[in-house]
Amino acid sequence: MNAPTASVRDLHVSLERNGIRSDVLRGIDLDVARGEIVGLVGESGSGKSMLALSLLGLLPENARPHVTGQARVLDTDMVNDPEPARRAARRAALGAVFQDPMTSLNPTMRVGRQITEAGQDRDGAVRLLGAMGVPDPELRFRVYPHELSGGLRQRVMAAIAIAGRPALVVADEPTTALDVTVQAQLLALLRELRDDLGCSVLLITHDLGVAAQIADRIAVLYAGRLAEVGPAAEVLGSPAHPYTAGLLRSRLSLTLDRSRRLPTLPLDTLTADERSHGCAYRARCPLTVDRCATDTPGVEESRPAPGHGAACWFGSETVRSATAAVTPTPAAAPRTAPATAEPAVVLDDVVVSYTTGHGRRRRTVEAVRGISLDVAAGEALAIVGESGSGKSTVLRVVAGLVPVTAGRVSVAAGGAQMVFQDAGSSLTPWLTVGETLRERLAPLRLGRAETTRRVEEALEGTGLPAAVARLRPADLSGGQRQRVALARATVVRPAVLLCDEPTSALDASLAATTLNLIRQMREELAMTVLFVTHDLAVARLMGDRIAVVERGRVVEVGDAEAVIGAPREPYTQALVASVPEIEVVR
Amino acid sequence: MSTVVLPRRAALATLPGRRRTGRRTAWTLVALLAALTLLAVVARLLAPDDPIQPVAAPQLPLGSPEHLLGTDAIGRDVLSRTLFGLQTSWFSALAVVAVGLLVGGAVGVAAGVGGGWVDALLMRVTDLFLALPSTLVAIALVAALGPGLRNTLLGMSIVWWPYYARLVRAEVRSVVARPHVEAARLAGVGRVRLVLRHVLPGVVPTAVVTASLDIGNVVLLLAGLSFLGLGQPAPAAELGADTAANTQLLLSAWWVPVVPGVAVLLLSLVANLAGDGIRTLLGTRR
Amino acid sequence: MLRFLLRRTGSLIVVLLVLSAVVFLLQQVSPGDPARAALGANASRAAVAAERHRLGLDDPLAVQFLRFLGHAVRGDFGTSYRTHRPVATDLASAFPATLELVLAAFVVALLLAALFAASSALSWPFAGIGRGVLLVVATAPPFLLALVGIVVFYARLDWLPGSGRGEGGPGSELAHLVLPATVLAIAPALAIGRILRAGLEATLAADHVRTARSKGLGQAAVLGRHVVRNAIGPSLAMSGLQLGFLFAGTVVVEQVFSWPGMGNYLASSIPTSDYPAIAAVTLVLGAVYVVVNTLADVLQTAADPRLA
Repeated sequence: MNAPTASVRDLHVSLERNGIRSDVLRGIDLDVARGEIVGLVGESGSGKSMLALSLLGLLPENARPHVTGQARVLDTDMVNDPEPARRAARRAALGAVFQDPMTSLNPTMRVGRQITEAGQDRDGAVRLLGAMGVPDPELRFRVYPHELSGGLRQRVMAAIAIAGRPALVVADEPTTALDVTVQAQLLALLRELRDDLGCSVLLITHDLGVAAQIADRIAVLYAGRLAEVGPAAEVLGSPAHPYTAGLLRSRLSLTLDRSRRLPTLPLDTLTADERSHGCAYRARCPLTVDRCATDTPGVEESRPAPGHGAACWFGSETVRSATAAVTPTPAAAPRTAPATAEPAVVLDDVVVSYTTGHGRRRRTVEAVRGISLDVAAGEALAIVGESGSGKSTVLRVVAGLVPVTAGRVSVAAGGAQMVFQDAGSSLTPWLTVGETLRERLAPLRLGRAETTRRVEEALEGTGLPAAVARLRPADLSGGQRQRVALARATVVRPAVLLCDEPTSALDASLAATTLNLIRQMREELAMTVLFVTHDLAVARLMGDRIAVVERGRVVEVGDAEAVIGAPREPYTQALVASVPEIEVVR
Repeated sequence: MSTVVLPRRAALATLPGRRRTGRRTAWTLVALLAALTLLAVVARLLAPDDPIQPVAAPQLPLGSPEHLLGTDAIGRDVLSRTLFGLQTSWFSALAVVAVGLLVGGAVGVAAGVGGGWVDALLMRVTDLFLALPSTLVAIALVAALGPGLRNTLLGMSIVWWPYYARLVRAEVRSVVARPHVEAARLAGVGRVRLVLRHVLPGVVPTAVVTASLDIGNVVLLLAGLSFLGLGQPAPAAELGADTAANTQLLLSAWWVPVVPGVAVLLLSLVANLAGDGIRTLLGTRR
Repeated sequence: MLRFLLRRTGSLIVVLLVLSAVVFLLQQVSPGDPARAALGANASRAAVAAERHRLGLDDPLAVQFLRFLGHAVRGDFGTSYRTHRPVATDLASAFPATLELVLAAFVVALLLAALFAASSALSWPFAGIGRGVLLVVATAPPFLLALVGIVVFYARLDWLPGSGRGEGGPGSELAHLVLPATVLAIAPALAIGRILRAGLEATLAADHVRTARSKGLGQAAVLGRHVVRNAIGPSLAMSGLQLGFLFAGTVVVEQVFSWPGMGNYLASSIPTSDYPAIAAVTLVLGAVYVVVNTLADVLQTAADPRLA
């Protein structure tokens, strides 16, 4: 057997942040074979990016990394060898694609130069740009990064990554900042690179679906340790670790049963100290036994198939039956809105345009170019579109935060309240949660005791203890802040609840919890819901109907299942096709 | 929804020791500032002699039993003059910064909240002021108005506020652009309350930190004006003027001109350190 | 870019007009009376009135301002009460000395700033002490630094001359420059150095620098091609600002070192309330300050393709 391109052995990394030292990787063993694509999957904080940086030999110096173990790429140990050797390896054997194409390119250097610098002559670089699917490569060779779209920049990043003919490409969340249609293209590009150049790829992602699309093998990382590793079909088809099984179960897909609550993973309650011994997943695991708190299973512990291993004391059969046994409770039966009801929201040929810049740079941007929508009382409408499609602007128009340039908007009595994309920043940081909620109740002049009662009621309604009222947003976790935002919107029942991508910044299991909560509150308070998202799976779940928005216009609107099952417009078809799905024969 | 959600306060209690000692140092620095202000308040009581009248033989050296810091060319007590000068310098600097902060802050808030033509007009004026060299204009201004403490303070205040107007306006704009302001607006919060409760508390820390870091600059500039004869007229005790008046003693009795200068250094150093401390305590960037 | 240049030139002219208006108005409120100054303290009331009329001091303010502007553009700033020579003549002899001092100080400031920033951002060993000294020294009033400099390097060590501008060869001139230029440079060095350090640290931590490192570039290439240009913008603007401040700072430093420049001229004019001289120096140094800042702004824009 050939020696692997990259091989990580018993890698431990600890970093210092704000004066606290914490272990981010706690003993990783992982190989990437020649020509293999390995998908490394984990939620935020699992240490997956630090594994990437270890392999590149670029651990952040200012975090004073402590490293033991090895991370070899070909013949160089990227964490222990002297810097000149590591630099030579980066030059000759490694390429990297980072998450944010907006910040990962040098803003003051022409694109072409940034590619040739990585080891290509001029003609080679132009050819490379063309091969990456950049139109007009000759022209694009001479531009600065800010003159390119996000998708093109990420292609430039890919060109830089392979310019030096690397043996291994490390791609750290390369698609996260991109729209779904561009995402799919970039993943295809990575696979072509492997097929054409024979290089290995380490694809790091938080989304099992992304890994499922191109990875030969999948490694699941949890709290700095490998939870499971194996051939992609094995890991996805018969997960042997409860975490992988849970992730697969709570993953949103286009085929999920809409009538049920989403399955969610329990929250992690372990402290950093408790996590350092035993199985880090034990607090969330349905199978936990005493041994899980004391002994730490290795990834060799469970061996359901050759090359497939999981760090669990239980065999894959036990894991599967235990995780499948948790059946999600059915949500209240979806109500169909009475057809005769007055519409709660009416948009009549709404146009929104605004001007940016001064002088010659002054230009008018039409964010919304004539949208008409009726939303019946009690109905939920999901608005789907890519970034810049104008979908958020529609929501802000309904909220009254943006004036319309032309057209008419009406909202039913009771008004609209909104849950913003970034719940943390939508809460005033220096006010306590109680003060924030009381502001909404102030116009009702309820008196002290009654106001306090209503605040506590609203918090309880979102699953928060009443004590949270005395805390400030900085004292809360991301999920808790999202709940507070929801409590603020509903402490006085609005006729319409507007949701602007409320889950896009959350990890999968937390997102599922939030979506469940919004659905539940919609039922309890009989609200009309407008839900904006870029994710078709979320749209299908949250909307009775779906409106697809492209460049400020509604291109398709209809019953959720119909739009997804049989999309009429090519744009909708492209959107549906590019949703990363996991198709495994079970 | 039955998920138990624990407040994260518990986690806050285990924050790093290093950061806490950082806060302790910061408190020490702020205490130093308070001590200096107290010293300035009671300076007149501490001064052993009349600062204006000669009280001993001229040019007594440092460490003379009755006159710890010696006497100047005509036998006045250097310690007493320095204490009086320190008081004037410190409160003058505080006054200039306070006026700058209030006037500039008001203009900045008006521009930032008002937006549109109010903003455009106020910022045009502010930018014109900012484009002028403040030190030179202050010199010319005080020279034209005639020297004297009141005119010095007036002149300094006139050139000093635009800086704060710019800063506060920028901060107001950045806070107003944050989602929480929009969220509060949507929640039905009125305009006045929105500014007072949701915008200003976000601006105050930066403004206070900048102002405290600025006290040292103003101390230096005021001392420079005084050095040039643009402060109180002689024989009043003033740090810059005392140095200027005694430079000819530099080679024979160096401490006479140097001691008031060191007092200025002390004031500006403490102001800068305390400014850093306040920045740490209020947790603003910059 | 051309449009930007035009706009910048336009606002430059407006600021210069405002500057001259301020100086003119200050001259109006200043207690000195040019007519009486020209005739002497014993002249009769009638003679003073006639002189005022001859000088146009009873014309409307706007007319006087236009005349003031016209004179200023032609380099006519009136006659000094103190030296009884045309102010323009005095300035012509003082300006080169000031320019020399300021440029020398600017070079020193840039060198110190670069040392300060680089030693900190790249964590050079043992550089912390130097930075600490600079931090403390920069909070001292310039006149104190000047005096201490004279006491130590002239009176005690006798390494450097303590006053005047050197005559007799470049060696002497350079020796005379060292103390005043260094004293003048300390505060600007720290101001520029802090901004440069912040820029370097932010850029070193930037994603695109990680990309550059992932290409396997050496430290020199990473710094030279990817860090410096992206880090330097704000410090360019700050350098322009500080170069302007240097001209204002000469007032105190030149006086202590008896440097025969414009600052010294201004400092000597203040005690005698020689307002034509004060106004002229303010106008000239102020104009230099405004122009330098505009140039720095243009340079910064040219350095960053996103702004052009």
